[in-house]
Amino acid sequence: MRRPASAAAALLLCGCTGVQTPLDPAGEQAASIHTIWTLMLWVCGFFYVLVIAGLVWAIWRNRRVAGGAPQASTHDPGMERGLAIWSAMIFVGLTVLATWSFFVDRSLASTHEQNALHLRVTGYQWWWKVEYQEGPHPWWFETANEIHLPVGKTARIELESGDVIHSFWVPNLSGKMDLIPGRHNVLDVTPTRVGVYRGQCAEFCGFQHAHMALTVIVEPQARFDAWRLHQLQPASTPATPDAQFGQQVFQSRACGMCHTIAGTDAGGRMAPNLTHIASRPTIAAGTMPMSKGALAGWISDPQGIKPGSKMPDVPLTTTESSAVVAYLSSLQ
Amino acid sequence: MSSRFRPAVRALLGLVAAAALVGACDRELRDFGSSAPEAGPTIQTTSLTPGPGGQVPPDPRGEIYEKSAAHVSEGGRLFRWYNCNGCHSNGGGGMGPALIDDEWRYGSSIEQIYGTIAEGRPNGMPSFRGKATDEQIWELAAYVRSLGGFTPQASSSRNDEIRSTPPRNQVTPPKPSAEGGASVQGTAP
Amino acid sequence: MAEVERRRTWWWIAAAVVLAALIILFLLKQTHYSPPAAKMTTPAAYNPGQPTADDGQWVMPAKDYASTRFSGLNEINVSNVANLRPEFTFETGINKGHEEAPIVVGGTMFIVTPYPNKVFALDLTKPGAPLKWSFEPKPAPASQGVACCDVVNRGAVYWDGKIIITTLDGVVIALDANSGAQAWRTQLGDINRGETITMAPLVVKGKVLVGDSGGETGVRGWLTALDAGSGKIAWRAYNTGPDKDVLIGPDFHPFYKMDQGTDLGVKTWPPDAWKTGGGTVWGWISYDPELNLIYYGTGNPGPWNADQRPGDNKWTSGIFARDPDTGQAKWFYQLSPHDIHDYDGINEIVLLDLPIGGKVRKVLVRPERNGYVYVIDRATGQVLSADPFAYVNSSKGVDLKTGELQVNPDKVTQVGKTVRDICPSANGAKDWNPSAWSPRTGLLYLPHVNMCMDWQSAEVSYIAGTPYVGAEVVMYGGAGGNRGAFTAWDPVKRRAAWEIKEDLPIWSGALATAGDVVFYGTLDGWFKAVDARNGQLLWQFKTGSGIIGQPVAYKGPDGREYIAIMSGVGGWAGAIVSGNLDPQDPTAALGFVNATQDLKKRTNTGGTLYVFALPPRR
Repeated sequence: MRRPASAAAALLLCGCTGVQTPLDPAGEQAASIHTIWTLMLWVCGFFYVLVIAGLVWAIWRNRRVAGGAPQASTHDPGMERGLAIWSAMIFVGLTVLATWSFFVDRSLASTHEQNALHLRVTGYQWWWKVEYQEGPHPWWFETANEIHLPVGKTARIELESGDVIHSFWVPNLSGKMDLIPGRHNVLDVTPTRVGVYRGQCAEFCGFQHAHMALTVIVEPQARFDAWRLHQLQPASTPATPDAQFGQQVFQSRACGMCHTIAGTDAGGRMAPNLTHIASRPTIAAGTMPMSKGALAGWISDPQGIKPGSKMPDVPLTTTESSAVVAYLSSLQ
Repeated sequence: MSSRFRPAVRALLGLVAAAALVGACDRELRDFGSSAPEAGPTIQTTSLTPGPGGQVPPDPRGEIYEKSAAHVSEGGRLFRWYNCNGCHSNGGGGMGPALIDDEWRYGSSIEQIYGTIAEGRPNGMPSFRGKATDEQIWELAAYVRSLGGFTPQASSSRNDEIRSTPPRNQVTPPKPSAEGGASVQGTAP
Repeated sequence: MAEVERRRTWWWIAAAVVLAALIILFLLKQTHYSPPAAKMTTPAAYNPGQPTADDGQWVMPAKDYASTRFSGLNEINVSNVANLRPEFTFETGINKGHEEAPIVVGGTMFIVTPYPNKVFALDLTKPGAPLKWSFEPKPAPASQGVACCDVVNRGAVYWDGKIIITTLDGVVIALDANSGAQAWRTQLGDINRGETITMAPLVVKGKVLVGDSGGETGVRGWLTALDAGSGKIAWRAYNTGPDKDVLIGPDFHPFYKMDQGTDLGVKTWPPDAWKTGGGTVWGWISYDPELNLIYYGTGNPGPWNADQRPGDNKWTSGIFARDPDTGQAKWFYQLSPHDIHDYDGINEIVLLDLPIGGKVRKVLVRPERNGYVYVIDRATGQVLSADPFAYVNSSKGVDLKTGELQVNPDKVTQVGKTVRDICPSANGAKDWNPSAWSPRTGLLYLPHVNMCMDWQSAEVSYIAGTPYVGAEVVMYGGAGGNRGAFTAWDPVKRRAAWEIKEDLPIWSGALATAGDVVFYGTLDGWFKAVDARNGQLLWQFKTGSGIIGQPVAYKGPDGREYIAIMSGVGGWAGAIVSGNLDPQDPTAALGFVNATQDLKKRTNTGGTLYVFALPPRR
């Protein structure tokens, strides 16, 4: 009897920490949601316990009156008093929950923060375009499937969709907000703890909805500024002949028709920006970790890894393919 | 539930199940699995061949792409992604000729359209060989066929662009002899 | 005896004198018009506001450096223009849009056609103007796939015994005017980067000024000066990018704060967006010899989807004043900062000396795409007035203190949003087709349109050689039912004197003459002469095809006044005919097809030169 209980306890507790859990808030918005979640857990748990206790007591009490018809009672002041108290408790409980929920909801919706960092996230099937629109226009840049945020500073994320409805959800940092085509939604995220967190699309958006994740890296301001400066640089020039050939193949074949690598002739905007692809932790929107092998597999057989994705099977020879992998993995 | 209604409810549930089964039958198959790179068809731009015989038979893959709404709609996506709509608009033309009329300078069969896209044409059509994969060119050719009204069963009913062409699935398909067909101008669109 | 002899001598002397007089009179009547000296007659041709003796030539499409398009000839006037009739025609054999102005130098007329840009020299001294020589530059056929708005060419220019033309695939060629032999050729544009050339060059102080086209194909705009003798590049000024590329140096003094700063051609764009930012030069250039400044406008920023290029997008949609010897910029004024409606800034710039605020000011007058007639001090770039000459709701006016266009926030175009009823439409209240000035009436004659549009932006990839637009547009006629209008504008009183409404958009240029007659053509082929003072229609002739060219007036070798115009529909307005487009798709031809759905029934393609004159005096 003990082992299942401890197993159950372990399962219950493993949701408490992690990179993609709302039970381990690392941001102000997630913290307020977590507070109300905890409140609801205790309030509802309290009532649940009372209800189960009442049920058990009712079953127990009626066991003594076996075989006979239940006693009909027309007037039971004790029962009426009990019910009145019960109704009052429920009313108070619901009012507390509703009021707290209302205030948390309003505080999450308000975006009055003056000095917020401006981001725009556009959802596509099945990847995230992230544009940093902070400061003068030459300081704006674009990346994909990855967000870096300075700890302690509010980021105002404008959410748009390029095709169907998606939903932006980084559970450790904030609640969900939909990305609706033709509409701008705004979400404020204020991270309070340094770390790496995983977010995911939370609105069914097609065949590969399950493989539309993004990484959010919360770091100290200095690290964030360094990262931002680095992102503004164009792609590094390939150093080895293999990588140079890879750049040639990238620009002259199908790759540049959809992807952009800043500083080269590849200017496609329908697929993730690859200027600094090698510095990202994952590829294909979180489907695989970033590595040469994963890149090679992705380029040679994207439909096998993420069937239905818009990345086509580009026919490259092995030399061309390995050159492109060498080039892309050099784009830190 | 009283026993009087049970047979009626059972019959109703049986009917619903049967309807669901039948309705699930006509679902378009989509092949997402990894496939070997798709090769292009044999292209013959003109129907004039010296001597007897010599016509290239139609490529069976053409029908597969044309009759699949998934491929036609992917072709429509690629039509915008590769800036085809920049020259051809929504089929009405501009820098490039119209694709929704019945004039096909370089042929209207899917193989000939494939050839136009892959090889380009001397008076300004760029060559997309190597830039679009062969499968993508098939899909683009299927979409262009749908613009020409050749694929009413696989075309979409509504285009989301502003005030664009009438629904392609309500267009009368052109008569089989696309070449040399007469057309009368004068009726308002 | 001596008395009789003296009388006979006097008779002989008298007879000799009478005979001499008769011979002289006879010779005077027989004057031949010989080709002029090698230099261009520009100093006389440039004299704003002061009509001078016209030499009867038309050596550049704008007539003179001030771009007045005014002919001093007055043989054809209000009372006799009704007798105008065709003298001869010339069939070019090319049925695309003919936007060119025929130019006349001495006894020869030179025409450069749309692609394939053939050059024809017609001998005006012989009846029927037979062909003297022709030249075929053979531009790359693939360039037809990169030209946004029909494969037009706006005309040749004459300089120092040479005829200089541009070709669609980006080549500038100089030909010997007498023989047609090629003197030099220089390749300037690359069609694989989306560059073409359609403009008529201008030659200033021995330098050929040429700009590129391709604001719809993601090019970087520039103006290049070639040495007219050798064809070598003297300087090139880009219109986006760092100051050293834009030739902005210590002499650069823009009037308004919004145009002041260093490297604004980079700072007002997201990173690298200026490299495909447009700002092309495909319209008109004017020159002031006194101030030694050339004036030209820059085209729209690319792509049309403005969300991809936040920022003011310098130096697009504005007017540059530059030194013609070095190309260094002197001032710049941005007419439509962060343009969101494709309002290119390339229209003609008319240099005039006008009485404003009690004194005569040296100004330039620009009837602009965004719907305002700008009067700008041409020495400093200060906007003196900007008044709407058509219905405008895309902006609420121009703030004269800051110079900024007051964009209407309801008409801002965005991705995923359909903005309706934007006036004027993307081709502007008036496009490239140039106006004409009459110093006699003090009116600027604007051939233009009355059109509005719906617009929906979309994300677009930059793929070199393909369009870089990102917008779906549908155009239609504006309020009033007329899609075109011919307005006589008074730039001093800042209002229209009179206006003629036309059913179809007007895409032809205008010509004003000293006979107080103004000429223009309609999109279905009517060539019209109206009274310059009140707009009354005096004469019209139905040519074979729609007219989108620029009319010119010249004095023929026989001394008579001739009016020449190309007839051949096309251009952006006539694309539905010249490209055989389908009106079922209202977004075709960047939206213009929806506004000209009836054009195919009213005209076919053509390519004919028509020359009109009064019947010869007997």
